[in-house]
Amino acid sequence: MRPCDRERAGVEIVRRIVDRAVAESERASASGARDPIEQTLEETAYLERLRLARRDADGDVASDRSFWRRINARLGSAGVDERRTMLAEVIARFAAEVTGNFNPWVYNLATSVLPVGMGVIFNAASPRLFLQNFPGLPSLTERVMIRGEVDTLRRLHDRGTVILAPTHVSNLDSIVIGWALHSMGLPPFIYGAGLNLFKNPMMSFFMNNLGAYKVDRKKQAPLYKQVLKEYATLTIELGYDNLFFPGGTRSRDGTVEQKLKLGLLGCGLRAYVNNLAANARRPNVYIFPCTLAFPLVLEAENLIEDHLEESGKARFIIEDDEFSQPRRWLSFVQNVLSMSMHITVRIGRPLDPFGNRVDAEGRSLDPKGRVIDPVRYVLVDGKPAELPQRDAEYTRELGASLSAAFARENVVHSTHMLAFCAFRMLARRNPGLDLYRLLRVEEDRAPTGFWAWVRGDDDGEEGGLSLPEVHREMDRLLERIRGLAAADRIQVDGRLDASDGATVADRALRAFGTYHSRPVLKRRGDRIYPQHMQLLYYYHNRLVGYGLERDERDQPIVVTHEAGRGVGAPPGNGGNGGGNGAGSSGRLPAASRAGGPAASPATSPTSDPGEARP
Amino acid sequence: MSTSKSKSKPEAGPPAPSPALDPAEVDVSNRPAPRVGVLGAGAWGTTLAHLAAQATGSARLWCRRGEVCREIAETGKNAGYTGDVPLHAGLEPLADLKATVADADLIIVAVPSKGFRQVIVEIGGHVRGDQMVVSATKGFEVRTFTRMSEIVRQETCIRKIGVLSGPNLAAEIMDGQPTATVIASRFDEVFEASARGLMSKRFRVYGSHDVLGVELGGALKNVFAITAGFCDGLGFGANTKAALVTRGLAEMTRIATRLGGDPLTMLGLAGVGDLVVTCSSELSRNYRVGFHLAKGETLRSILKSRVTVAEGIRTAEAVTTHAREIGIDMPITEGVHRVLKGEVEPTAVLEELMGRPPRRREVDVLDASSPSRPVVGSS
Repeated sequence: MRPCDRERAGVEIVRRIVDRAVAESERASASGARDPIEQTLEETAYLERLRLARRDADGDVASDRSFWRRINARLGSAGVDERRTMLAEVIARFAAEVTGNFNPWVYNLATSVLPVGMGVIFNAASPRLFLQNFPGLPSLTERVMIRGEVDTLRRLHDRGTVILAPTHVSNLDSIVIGWALHSMGLPPFIYGAGLNLFKNPMMSFFMNNLGAYKVDRKKQAPLYKQVLKEYATLTIELGYDNLFFPGGTRSRDGTVEQKLKLGLLGCGLRAYVNNLAANARRPNVYIFPCTLAFPLVLEAENLIEDHLEESGKARFIIEDDEFSQPRRWLSFVQNVLSMSMHITVRIGRPLDPFGNRVDAEGRSLDPKGRVIDPVRYVLVDGKPAELPQRDAEYTRELGASLSAAFARENVVHSTHMLAFCAFRMLARRNPGLDLYRLLRVEEDRAPTGFWAWVRGDDDGEEGGLSLPEVHREMDRLLERIRGLAAADRIQVDGRLDASDGATVADRALRAFGTYHSRPVLKRRGDRIYPQHMQLLYYYHNRLVGYGLERDERDQPIVVTHEAGRGVGAPPGNGGNGGGNGAGSSGRLPAASRAGGPAASPATSPTSDPGEARP
Repeated sequence: MSTSKSKSKPEAGPPAPSPALDPAEVDVSNRPAPRVGVLGAGAWGTTLAHLAAQATGSARLWCRRGEVCREIAETGKNAGYTGDVPLHAGLEPLADLKATVADADLIIVAVPSKGFRQVIVEIGGHVRGDQMVVSATKGFEVRTFTRMSEIVRQETCIRKIGVLSGPNLAAEIMDGQPTATVIASRFDEVFEASARGLMSKRFRVYGSHDVLGVELGGALKNVFAITAGFCDGLGFGANTKAALVTRGLAEMTRIATRLGGDPLTMLGLAGVGDLVVTCSSELSRNYRVGFHLAKGETLRSILKSRVTVAEGIRTAEAVTTHAREIGIDMPITEGVHRVLKGEVEPTAVLEELMGRPPRRREVDVLDASSPSRPVVGSS
């Protein structure tokens, strides 16, 4: 953001939030209720003190402590005016933190620095190594494939303000998107990134380049979230394109996210209404869904482990995963290079802030493709105006459109297909098994290390899957996926187009043999053995929700995410408070569980995570 | 968070929740009156246009048939549907659909469910995002099990969509007797405009956000009205009818909850409210269909003698098919459907229902654990 805009943003955030609070406060005092500003201050002070008491609190803890001590001391005796002043001080402090971390110098340089930065990652994962290897950069265009509505994105970028809304798979997403934007000839998009990303030395370098501002997710106060939302709204109004991850966090279980966080998403509509009310020159806001598909995911092992540990207790912020280990980066990058794998960034068809489709000229369309005037949606007595209940509803509908787009624009790689196929075959072979038990049983059976050597190939009949059978299943799956793709319900990676099941399986097996701590699937003779069931499940999940799991030979399996069932948190509540985006229950139905031999009390280990849950 | 309130300082505890900002009542009297356009000049559409004209001074009514339009314009009555009652002078009949919706703020649709999509398709190109549509039609599109509000969303740019349902017999309303209705919409603006546009001393309007629940309740009660007709037609008394209709309510709640509705909606005007009418009024068209079927008449001959549509017939078919698909037990609805198809006699259906094995728990739909548990095929 340009320095002049940054200053303006700081002032404007305070003004808007205080104005709203004062209006509410006056309504409350008219009806004799308690001053909501007092409540807001108390609540914020309370939550901030809780945060500051934590050992892992971020930021300038000492300065924050003394600030809140002073606020607390004044709060008891403060009158109405004093409280309003204090509210403004608190908001200004939050706002300075949010806007102040934006480095305009880097922003200006970003366009030129960024591609080099990407080279660092994809070549050596360390700036030092990168410098040594500088002359021999391989072309990134071979590693990151950008597909979809690229021309429309460029065109609408000139006609209004763009919000790019990608699925969230990995912390590498923002870097990949940064590079993709650059290679499309677009400036960096503004992006609120968690502080944990800045703590990673490698990442923080790129974060600044991406136009990132810092978001402290440990600050739980609603007032802080209001500041973040107001900031995002303002940047959109000022014409800065934004990057939102509507899933709120990386998908823990590998599914395409269907439950979206609507808080930040609603900023697009607010900016649009404010633009209309201010007669802005380019009032329109366009939301582009976007999907990222990685054949292998850097943090996959940690993410799925976190998901399975206990869905309810999954951590919202993970600071100690593969992402923070330079060695894993190096391994990841080397493997992606050597395997000539590629990452797909797919830009979906644009939406307006109401979730309507938008044509290439930026005009909103109704469900039947007729051009409509979106201004009509926000008229109050003939003039554009905000109306919180109405706008929350529009944002909910935008969320539904985005979820549908995510599923539709999801790009299938060979690894997803093989994992899906193998996992389903294993699940069919173990009818009635709880997911957690299935994940254990099949892995135990796989001959590895010493026992594989002792037992030799004789054991192969018991465990693993016959490769010819896998190939047949892959052919079936490929056919069904092509059918879905033809109906525009999913996208297929270009290289799957002319392949048969055996080729796809082969490619996936090679990919699965690299990078991860142990191969996901390992081939021995004409059988393949799962070596890492959790990862197999994780990669399989990318294809869940398309009805592909509905096979006449299958047990009814309840590992789908509930598509269409209420999108995310109640609108207006918003923000990124709580939740882990882990939608699926990951259980087989109770009725079918009872029959399995492993379910008898005598043989079931008490430590089984599946058993511990009610 | 609750663990850390160790010190007894007053501000150390979590702050008290703010008082409810949402008042239970809204004053809409000072709002500008919406211009109301009603589509469909049957009994219910004419009644709604009459109510809107009473509340706002004027209303437009689109009549598909030219002779009805002329009759209203010339005589101030719609004899075929609302009998002898003089319609409000501000009620303006129109034969032009486009003109009726063009400058309406609030469009109320009261055409039979069978022709609903057709009418919505016709207005699709002429409506704007600031307009509101309220469906007063009870029923589903049979083949697709699509609700009327969903059809509006699919075919037009309109988002501010609502549904209206309640114990609203057109004849009693035209007679000036007091009653109430519920208008459900995700948008508060729709409720407020409808309240301003329809409410009077004789017609009270309540709001709800549960569009699906209100729509299901309104549609399904027509099916249970047919069963109430069976009871009287077969000469049974109050016990039988009350038991059947109450179990009908259980079916209604079961499917609504399963499809994402609020079970409490069924305790409201669109559920219990409408069912009570069904039990006690012989004015209901669906009731009369059931009554005459039980007397041994054929459906064909019953339908031939009426001008109005009994929506319960199509609803029974749509719901039976859909409930089978998604595995919901709806024995009464299914029984009615089979009688309507001519497969069984009403008495046989009653015997079947009475012969089912005893249920351990009468009310199961409100059990918090049941809706979330995945339905497994057969066990």
